[in-house]
Amino acid sequence: MTETAAAHPVDPFAAQALNAAEGLDPVDPAYSHVLRIKTLFNAVPIAIAATVLDLMVVREVGGPYGLLTGLAWLLGAIAVVAFPARRAQRWGFKIGEGQLRVARGWLFRTDTIVPFVRVQHIDVGQGPVERWFGLSHLIVHTSGTHNSTVTLPGLRSDLAAAMRETIRRHIQTDFA
Amino acid sequence: MSDGSAALSSDAAPADTDADWQRLHPATLALSIVRLGPRTVNFLPALAAIGIAGKWVYVLPALGVFLLLSLAAAWLAWARFRFHVGADEIAIESGIFARQHRTIPFDRIQDVSIEQGLIARALGIAKVGFETGAGGDKKDEARLDSIGLDAAQALRRTIRAHRGGAVPAAVAPVAGEAADAAGAAGEDRLLFAMTPQRLLVAGLFNFSLAALAVVGAAMQLFDNLLPFDFNIFNPVDWFDLAERYGLEQWVTAHRWIAGVGALISLLFIGFASGVLMMVLANWGFRLAREPRALRRTRGLTTRTDVALPVRRVQAAILVTGWLRQRFGWHELRLQSLASDGETEKDHQVVPFGRLAEIDPVLAEIGMARPPAEQPWQHSHRIVALGGFVGAGIAALAGAGTIAFGQPLGWIALGAALLIAAGAWISAHFHGWTEIGEMVAIRSGWLKPKTTLLPFASVQSADLSVDFILRRFGMATLVFGVPGGSALGSHEIPAIPRAVAEALRARILAARTRP
Repeated sequence: MTETAAAHPVDPFAAQALNAAEGLDPVDPAYSHVLRIKTLFNAVPIAIAATVLDLMVVREVGGPYGLLTGLAWLLGAIAVVAFPARRAQRWGFKIGEGQLRVARGWLFRTDTIVPFVRVQHIDVGQGPVERWFGLSHLIVHTSGTHNSTVTLPGLRSDLAAAMRETIRRHIQTDFA
Repeated sequence: MSDGSAALSSDAAPADTDADWQRLHPATLALSIVRLGPRTVNFLPALAAIGIAGKWVYVLPALGVFLLLSLAAAWLAWARFRFHVGADEIAIESGIFARQHRTIPFDRIQDVSIEQGLIARALGIAKVGFETGAGGDKKDEARLDSIGLDAAQALRRTIRAHRGGAVPAAVAPVAGEAADAAGAAGEDRLLFAMTPQRLLVAGLFNFSLAALAVVGAAMQLFDNLLPFDFNIFNPVDWFDLAERYGLEQWVTAHRWIAGVGALISLLFIGFASGVLMMVLANWGFRLAREPRALRRTRGLTTRTDVALPVRRVQAAILVTGWLRQRFGWHELRLQSLASDGETEKDHQVVPFGRLAEIDPVLAEIGMARPPAEQPWQHSHRIVALGGFVGAGIAALAGAGTIAFGQPLGWIALGAALLIAAGAWISAHFHGWTEIGEMVAIRSGWLKPKTTLLPFASVQSADLSVDFILRRFGMATLVFGVPGGSALGSHEIPAIPRAVAEALRARILAARTRP
């Protein structure tokens, strides 16, 4: 990642800096644990597969045995330990005047605004990992072909329900 | 027809004797017999297997049984299909064993399309499709395949009449008002038609070598069947011709004559297939204004009749080509909630016309092109980066190939230069401007495209910044608009971030009006 101190007066890697600069609220910090566990579930099978490949192929053909295994587990460990907290911090949202704003990512940052009146229907979902941490995700459906669903993860379950009610009220008042 | 239905429905529920239920047109059966022809091809491997096994005696009976079973299945499907047009809904029951009952309220039907294939036209029947605007699989759309053409048109009139005042929410208010004003004025007016001369000109601009592959394959297939051993599309034959007349010496000295022959045949195929495709698709093209909709009929072999409710129009897209633009020809497509047929995602309402012909059509849907003197705001030149990266990769590959002593690499190097130049020139054509409650976005140089997008059509807006755009303080705006378009999503790439944020705020604020 490149240095962008000129664009942002604060350290872009600092927690909350990006969201604060754009007037967004952060998602629940516990979401980083959800991301970490999900990453773990993805990384461990890949690392095991790499180990098996190393054992079965690289050793047989006399290649640098052990390199692939070490690399896979190292990268997996980095992905599990270092990145989830950072990824979680880069999610931001704002319930504004009649609109929901959701921002995500840094290298490729996308900042979506969905006006409540354009919402077709709303889902609040909770996966097993999210349930451990008392989190939910909110999915907003629009009729647009691009962005037909906008997902906002990492919300405390009560907040997600409250947001759903807020949006639902707007839909009702505007189409009553 | 009615006695057949009575006999058949005796084994179903007693309420089924209700005379209001209708069947598909009996000629549909004739249509399914015709469809049997191509279907038999699927059965050929099985026949071949029987033949190879040495049991030739069984081939004909097997084929007969297959045809009989297919016919029986077609008849059963026809006999077990019925529909009922009620006061404010249509009910369809289908399925040979697993019965399916579907009810569609007229209120939910966005549009009724009528389609006639070549044989259907001879039989006077038509396929009726109901657009409900439900997302998902196109195959899931309800259809009546097929009923009499008169019945189809009557059904459409009934549904249209019922849909009187229903107003969908997601439409430009501007468009709505204009629609009402025009609708009050009344009857069908012809907005645009394609004359045969126009079709010919359009076909010439429709030059396409896509058909070359098909023709080539056909030539391979029929080469041995031709009564004479000369294929004007085959350059080798031109060499042979020259040889036969003892012109070998002359030809080796004048290879260009073979080249010219090949070139002429290529050009001929390109133009002929362009004209042919244009004529097949747009023969008898008529675009008419009905009280609430634009109605389009077109097609030579397969005639389609599609109505596009004006209030459902989400965006207008003007497309042209580098060359045809110089001659003043343009194409107009409308993006709507209902999609056009099975393949096209947007509606082509003017396939080939002058801007002076397109403007009145745009006016009907409450849109207008930005005036010539209106300044355009430009995207940053960085949008060429993608092309440059592609060119760089091509150049690297080319250089690598040359390094390995393969002169073909120079072609890749040349292509890289062309790609880079094309990307750089195209980058100058990205721009946008605002006209009232509408944003116009244009792009492209070889295939210029202008999109007219009413603010009210925008369902959501993304502001995307990646690590490259961030360095330039730029952002890309991507709009979520209902209804698909074959021409991609609506976006304004690489404009200053502050400008993008302000424009997004304006667009999203516009819709909160009552």
